Amino acid sequence: MTPSLEEWYRQERMPHIFCTGCGNGTVINCTLNAVVEMGWEIDNTIFISGIGCSSRAPGYVATDSLHTTHGRALAFATGVKMARPEFNVVVFTGDGDLSAIGGNHFIHACRRNIDMTVICMNNMIYGMTGGQGSPCTPVGAISTTTPYGAGEPVFDLAELAVAAGANYSARWTTYHVKELTKAIKAGMETPGLSFIEAMTQCPTSFGRKNRQRQPSDMIEHMKNHSILLSKKKRLEEEGKSVPDDTFAVGEFARRNRPAMGVYKK
Amino acid sequence: MKLIIDESRCKGCNLCTLVCPYNIFQEGSKLNEKGIVVPSLDRPGRCTNCRLQKLYQRRLCGVCQLICPDQAIHWVEEEPYEPLGVVIEF
Ligand SMILES: Cc1ncc(C[n+]2csc(CCOP(=O)(O)OP(=O)(O)O)c2C)c(N)n1
Ligand code: SF4
Repeated sequence: MTPSLEEWYRQERMPHIFCTGCGNGTVINCTLNAVVEMGWEIDNTIFISGIGCSSRAPGYVATDSLHTTHGRALAFATGVKMARPEFNVVVFTGDGDLSAIGGNHFIHACRRNIDMTVICMNNMIYGMTGGQGSPCTPVGAISTTTPYGAGEPVFDLAELAVAAGANYSARWTTYHVKELTKAIKAGMETPGLSFIEAMTQCPTSFGRKNRQRQPSDMIEHMKNHSILLSKKKRLEEEGKSVPDDTFAVGEFARRNRPAMGVYKK
Repeated sequence: MKLIIDESRCKGCNLCTLVCPYNIFQEGSKLNEKGIVVPSLDRPGRCTNCRLQKLYQRRLCGVCQLICPDQAIHWVEEEPYEPLGVVIEF
């Protein structure tokens, strides 16, 4: 018997520490639903994370987990996969964790195409430390380190994963729960590195400073500012302009490059 | 099946009120003993999963459970289970 959804949570540790309306809980739900659909076993799955609010997620999953140092989740995950290739490895990470301090690990994990699933909860800010700007903070957004609005261009993580060589790359938001679950499942099925970027709301550190005080305001914002990748491509082909303040959601890559650490029974 | 919100977990973010296609979740008005305003349920018997899960043998819809960041939404068995004149549309 494969474990049920309830068994995948560490029920005794609930309710979790995330703030009211924080999207991280939604991403855990979608991931565990995908895991149940995959029919994985608790004993041969491992959840790994770095440091940050998002990285506390494995603490609520019943499997063995590694809560590692800031930015190094992928380095630890590589070690786990090389030592025990029969394990299903899932990495939870934040945008700061993955793209700022852990940027190099990310591109090289994609280049090596190591067989694991990387789920980035991109809340566009450093949530845990009080809302400093991250490489994913949108232009114009207020954070504690960008009091006049962020001015730097933003990292497009899903495109970065494609360019670096990951076998699967997708982006959805916490509003698109069904699509996110499907994307995570598709990622888990694809051998090689699968990267799923989940845009989430951080009402405490991001919303409060950017006139989106309620979690529902942030969800509405993501719903209204996401554009399907296929639609974006069509607009570009037709020579029409894509609105600046939107971001693409959808499947960016699904391919079959040679992968590392794929377990053969 | 019966839809319930676990008051010991709900933090009152009201995201469920955004997603339910039947608008079953309504913003609550009363504080509970934890000081949280938990959403109230408006005729939860209308929920697709409550009505048809037994028939289809799988979870239907379920967006509220997926989006709930606090894992507070569940379905429980109703004892005794009555198919209560469910209208099945083909
Ligand atoms: C080596 C190191 N540098 C800095 C920190 C401080 N620190 C802790 S959490 C964090 C930000 C995490 O942000 P992100 O990965 O975006 O996760 P979020 O909290 O937003 O989910 C930082 C900089 C640390 N713990 N270790
Ligand atoms: S600070 Fe932001 S990311 Fe961290 S738990 Fe609160 S809402 Fe979530």
